[in-house]
Amino acid sequence: MVKAILDKQSIEVEEGTTILEAATERGITIPTLCYHPLLEPYSACRICMVEVEERGKKDLRTACNTAITEGMVIETSSENAIRARRMNLELLMAQAPGAEVLKEMAFEMGITKSRFPVTDETEKCILCGLCVRVCEDVVGAHAISFVNRGADRCVSTPYGESSEFCISCGACAYFCPTGSISLEELTGAKIVHTELPLGPSTAVRVPFMQSIPNVPFIDAEACINFKTDGCKLCEKVCEPQAINHEMKDEFIEVDIGTAIIATGYELLDVSDMQNYGYGRFDNVLSALEFEHLCNAGGPTGGKILLKNGESPQSLAIIHCVGSRDKNYKRYCSRICCMYAMKFAHLVKEKTDADVFEFYIDIRSFGKGYEEFYNRMLEERVNFIRGKAAEVSNAAMVPEEEGKLVVRCEDTLAGFIRRIPVDMVILCPAVVPREDVSEVGKLFGVTLSEDGFLKELHPKLAPLSTSSDGIFLAGTCQSPKDIPDTVAQGAGAAGAVLSLGDAVYLEPINSVIDEEKCVGCRICIGVCAYDAIFFDDEKKVSKIEETLCKGCGACVAACPSGASTQNGFTDAQLLAEVEGALI
Amino acid sequence: MKPYRMHLMVCAGTACVSNKSYKIKKVLEEEIKKQGLEDEVAVVTTGCNGFCAQGPLMVVQPDGVFYQLLKEEDIPHLVEEHFLKGRPVKEKMYVPPEEKMPIPTMDNIDFFKYQRLIALRNRGLIDPEKIDEYIARDGYNALVKALTEMSPDDIIREVKTSGLRGRGGAGFPTGLKWELTRASENGEVEKYIVCNADEGDPGAFMDRSIIESDPHSVLEGMAIGARAIGATKGFIYIRHEYPLALERLNKAIKQACEYGLLGENILDTGFNFDVDVHRGAGAFVCGEETALLAALEGRFGEPRPRPPYPVEKGLWGKPTNINNVETWANVPIIISRGSKWFSEIGTETSKGTKVFSLVGKINNTGLVEVPMGITMRDIVYKIGGGIPDGKEFKAVQTGGPSGGCIPKALLDLPVDYESLTDAGSMMGSGGMVVMDEETCMVDVARYFLTFTQDESCGKCTPCREGTKRMLEILTKITQGEGTEEDLQLLEELANEVKKSALCGLGKTAPNPVLTTLRYFRDEYETHIREKKCPAHVCRKLNVYTIDPEICVTKGHGCGVCMRECPEGAIAGEKNKPHRIEQDKCIKCGVCYEVCRFKAIYIQ
Repeated sequence: MVKAILDKQSIEVEEGTTILEAATERGITIPTLCYHPLLEPYSACRICMVEVEERGKKDLRTACNTAITEGMVIETSSENAIRARRMNLELLMAQAPGAEVLKEMAFEMGITKSRFPVTDETEKCILCGLCVRVCEDVVGAHAISFVNRGADRCVSTPYGESSEFCISCGACAYFCPTGSISLEELTGAKIVHTELPLGPSTAVRVPFMQSIPNVPFIDAEACINFKTDGCKLCEKVCEPQAINHEMKDEFIEVDIGTAIIATGYELLDVSDMQNYGYGRFDNVLSALEFEHLCNAGGPTGGKILLKNGESPQSLAIIHCVGSRDKNYKRYCSRICCMYAMKFAHLVKEKTDADVFEFYIDIRSFGKGYEEFYNRMLEERVNFIRGKAAEVSNAAMVPEEEGKLVVRCEDTLAGFIRRIPVDMVILCPAVVPREDVSEVGKLFGVTLSEDGFLKELHPKLAPLSTSSDGIFLAGTCQSPKDIPDTVAQGAGAAGAVLSLGDAVYLEPINSVIDEEKCVGCRICIGVCAYDAIFFDDEKKVSKIEETLCKGCGACVAACPSGASTQNGFTDAQLLAEVEGALI
Repeated sequence: MKPYRMHLMVCAGTACVSNKSYKIKKVLEEEIKKQGLEDEVAVVTTGCNGFCAQGPLMVVQPDGVFYQLLKEEDIPHLVEEHFLKGRPVKEKMYVPPEEKMPIPTMDNIDFFKYQRLIALRNRGLIDPEKIDEYIARDGYNALVKALTEMSPDDIIREVKTSGLRGRGGAGFPTGLKWELTRASENGEVEKYIVCNADEGDPGAFMDRSIIESDPHSVLEGMAIGARAIGATKGFIYIRHEYPLALERLNKAIKQACEYGLLGENILDTGFNFDVDVHRGAGAFVCGEETALLAALEGRFGEPRPRPPYPVEKGLWGKPTNINNVETWANVPIIISRGSKWFSEIGTETSKGTKVFSLVGKINNTGLVEVPMGITMRDIVYKIGGGIPDGKEFKAVQTGGPSGGCIPKALLDLPVDYESLTDAGSMMGSGGMVVMDEETCMVDVARYFLTFTQDESCGKCTPCREGTKRMLEILTKITQGEGTEEDLQLLEELANEVKKSALCGLGKTAPNPVLTTLRYFRDEYETHIREKKCPAHVCRKLNVYTIDPEICVTKGHGCGVCMRECPEGAIAGEKNKPHRIEQDKCIKCGVCYEVCRFKAIYIQ
C-alpha cells in the first residue's frame, strides 16, 4: 500500500494505482480523451494533466499513466494543470473542430473558441490513437496505424488502400470518441438493424430476448478471439470470470432407459430460390427474420423498418414458399397461413402499410383460426389467391420505381398481376432437421417419405416409434403448430411415465446357439433393431433380448442355423407338424 | 611494423573526404613513389581531425606540421620540398585570421591549443580502420583490466566516482544508470546495452566524428558497460545518413571479433558480448530513448511515457542501458586511468570534457573537445578564432533544436550542464552554432521550430499541434503580420508545451522560442510594432530604397538593379538616379545583392 495526498485528502492505494484510477474511485473527475480503461494508457492527448509534487519537485504529469508513489502530493485541478489542459484543448479544437467531444469539454472548461486558426472545419479525428491501439493491442489485426509524422499524422490502412488484415470487427469505430470512424462508413450502409440476423451485432450476446436460458453466448463466427487470438476484453471486464475462450464442444455419454425425441424443425433455405430474390434484395426477409424484427427486444425495438430506416408503405407476404410445391416439398407446412395472417395483423397494428397475402388456399383448421382469418379480411388485408411467381426490382411503370414487384396469377380474378411493395416476407416450408437421419439411426427410428421421423402408427400410435421406450414430440415428426406440439409433447411425457421402471419383453424373440454360430455376423447386418452384437472374446454373435422384437430376420438369414426363435425351434415346429398329422 | 621516417596523417573525416582527401592521398602516394620515398614516408588516413573549416588536412608526424586546404596540384611541390628536401611549405600552413605569419605546427594553433582530448584521444593519430593502431595506443587495455581485475561492482563504482554524466544531452549520471540497470531484476533476465548514435541535431557531428576517428573506443566502452550491468548483447543505433561511420563501425566490429575482443568467451574470461548495428531510418525523434527502442524493435518510432524507464523495461521489455556515443567513448579511459584522474577535470557537477561541434558565423569551424567549465568566450574567441569579417558576436545557440540562444551578456558563462540549463538552454549533444549581428533571432527561432515541427512524431498534442502553432505565429511575425496578442499567445503556448509535452523533443522544442524571447524580446517587438527586422533577414519586412546620390555619383545609374529585378519594380535611366516602386517590389533582395556601389539600402 502507498500513502499519498490527493487534492488535500490523505489516501492509501495499492501500489501501481494510477492517479486517474485513484481519483475516479473517489469521485474526482479528471478529463481524458485518449484514455480507455480497457487499453494501456497512451498519454498522448495531455488533457489529463495534474500537478504532482514528488521528492520536493513539482511538475505536471499525465494522470492516466502516472502511478502514485509514497508521499506524492497530487493536485488534480491546480492552476498550472488547468492552464495546460486548456491550452491542449484549444490546440485540439483548432485541429479537429468537428469533434463534438471537444466542444462539450470546452463548454465545461469555459472555453468558447480556440485562439488558433482552423484549417479544416469538418475534421473530427483528434489522433487519440484509440482505434489504432484497439486494432493492434486488443484485436491483434494490425489493419490500421498512424502514418506520417508531426502535423501530417493521420490514421490509415497501409498505403491508404483497403487492408486485407482488417477483419471488419468494427472495434475502431466502437472506440472512436469523435465519430471520425463510423461503423456506417465501414459497412457502407446506414445501420438500422443492429442485431443479427438482420444487422451487425456483437459477438457476445443473448440470442434473443426470451431465450432460455437467458444468458449471453459467444458467437465464434463473429468473435475476434477466434479470428486473431486477440481481444478477450469480455474476459477482462467479467468480474466473476465466467468467460472461457478455451471451452470447446464436447460429447457426453448418458445412460438412459427411455427418450423423447423433440428435435424440432428447420425452415427451408430460401436463398436457393432465385425467383424470390432473397439475399439479393435488402428488403426480402424470411418469416423468422421478420418475427425477430417485430420483436420488442429485437434490433429496432419492435419497429418495422426497411433497411434504409424508413417505414414501409406496402408489404407482401408470400405463403407456401417451398411447401405444396413438387419442386421442393409436397406437403403442407401447416403453420404458415396462420402466422402469415398474424404478421399481417402486426403490420396493420404498427404501420399504415398495405398488406398483400399471396396464398394458394387458406388453411385455417384450428380452434378459432377461421375466425382470425375473417378478422383479417375485415382489417382490409388484401388476400390474393395465386402463388407468387417472382419478386423483382425491374420497374415497368413509374409506380414501380424503387419498389419490389411481386408478380402472380390472381386465380380468382383470372389475370396476371404485378404488385409493387416495399417489403416482402417469405414463408418458407417447414423441413426436417438436417441431421434427422442420424438421429433416426441413433434411436432406431425410421423416416417417413417426407423425411420426418416416423411414428409407429399414424392413427393408433402417433407418439411411439418402432423402438420401445423412444417417443416423438413436436415437429420432428411432422409440421405442426404450437397447440398440436404441446399436446403431443404432453402425450409423450405421459407415455414415458406410464412405462414405470419395467421393460416388457416380446413373447417371442431370437436366440443364438453359441455352439452353432460361426461368427459370420450376417445377422448383425440384417437386424433392424440393433439388437445383435458380436462377442469379441467368444467370436460369436449375441442377442440383447430387451431390444429384440422377435421379427425373425436373423433366423432366416443365419446360414448355420444358429439363430432360432424362442418356442419356434425347428424341432418344435416339426413336432407340432407331426402332432397335427397324427 | 615497419619504421618510417615520417607519417603523413591525412584526415579522412566526412568533411575532408567530401573535399577529396582520398584523391589527395592517392596523389600523395604516387608522388612519394615517384620520389622514391615509399620506404621512408608512410601515408595514413585518420578520422576527423576536427578543424573541418580548413580541410582537406594533413598533419606530418612526428614534427606535427599542419597543412591545410590541400589541393591535388599542391602535392608534387609539397612532397619534393618537405618530404624530400626537408623544407616545410609555408604557403599551405595555417594563418590565423587577421594575421600574416603562418603557424607551422598543430600544437601552436589556437584551435588545438586550448582543447583537452579525452573522448577524441586518438583522433588524427590512428587509422580508424586498423585495430592494431588502436591497440598500440593502449586500446582495449581498459577492457582487459575490467574483465580480469575488476568486478562489475568495481566498474560501476569507478564510473560513478568519476562523475561521468550522459553526453547525449540530459546529463544523467552514467554510473547511476548502470547501477540501476544492473540492479533491475537482479540479473535474472537478459539485459541489453544500446549505443545511441542517432545524432540528428542540425549542425552537430560529434558522434559521427568519434565513430569515424575511433570506433573501437565506443566498442570497448560498450563491452565494459555490458560487463558491468550483466548484458551480453549490444546494439548501436546509427543514423542512416552516416555511411562512413557505419562502414568503419562494421569494420571495427569485424576486427574486434577476429581478435577475440568481442563475441564468445572474450579474453578467456567466460564473458560473452556481441554487438549489432542497426541503421535508423531518418527520424529525429528516434534519438529519444524510448522512440529509439521502439524503432529497434521494428515498431513505429515514437516515444512512450516514462516511467517505466528503459533501465527497468527497455528493449523487448528487458532492462536496457542506453548511452550516447560520446559517453561510451569516455568509459575506457576512465577505467584505465582511474576515476580520480577524470574527476579532476571539469567543474563540481560536470566532470571531464565535452565535445562540441563549433559551427555558424565563426572563423574556426570544426570539432572541439574542451574541459567542462570553460567559458563560452574562450570557446568562441580563443578556439573558434572569433567572428569572421569583423562582425559583432550576437549569440551562441547550444543544444540544437532543443537548446536555446545564449546572448553576448552571458559569454562568460561556464559551459556545464547546470549553467546552460539555468540560462534556458541545454548542453544537448553538443551542437554550438555561433551567430553574428546579421542573424535575426526571430528567424532563428522560426528555423528551429521548422525543424522540430517537421520532426515531431505527432503523438502528443502539445508537440504536434503546439510546434505547428508556434511556427505559424513566428512565421506571421517574420512576415510583419504579428500582433501583440500573438506574442503573448506565443509565450503562453511555449511555456505550456514545455510543461506538458510527452518526451524530451516536445518538452525542449519551445526552448529556442523561450530563450530568444528572454534575451532578445526587443527584436520580436521591433518586428511587431515597427514592422522591421533589425538584422534585415526577414525579407518581407525590408524596404529597399535607392540612395539617388550614390546611384548617380558612384554608379552613374548603371541599371544593373533594373535589369535584375524580376518584377520590373525599378525605373530609371543611365546617369540618372533609379527608383524602386514599392507597390511592385516583392522584396526578393536581388537589387540589394547586385548593386556594386551599395546605393541600395534597407530602411
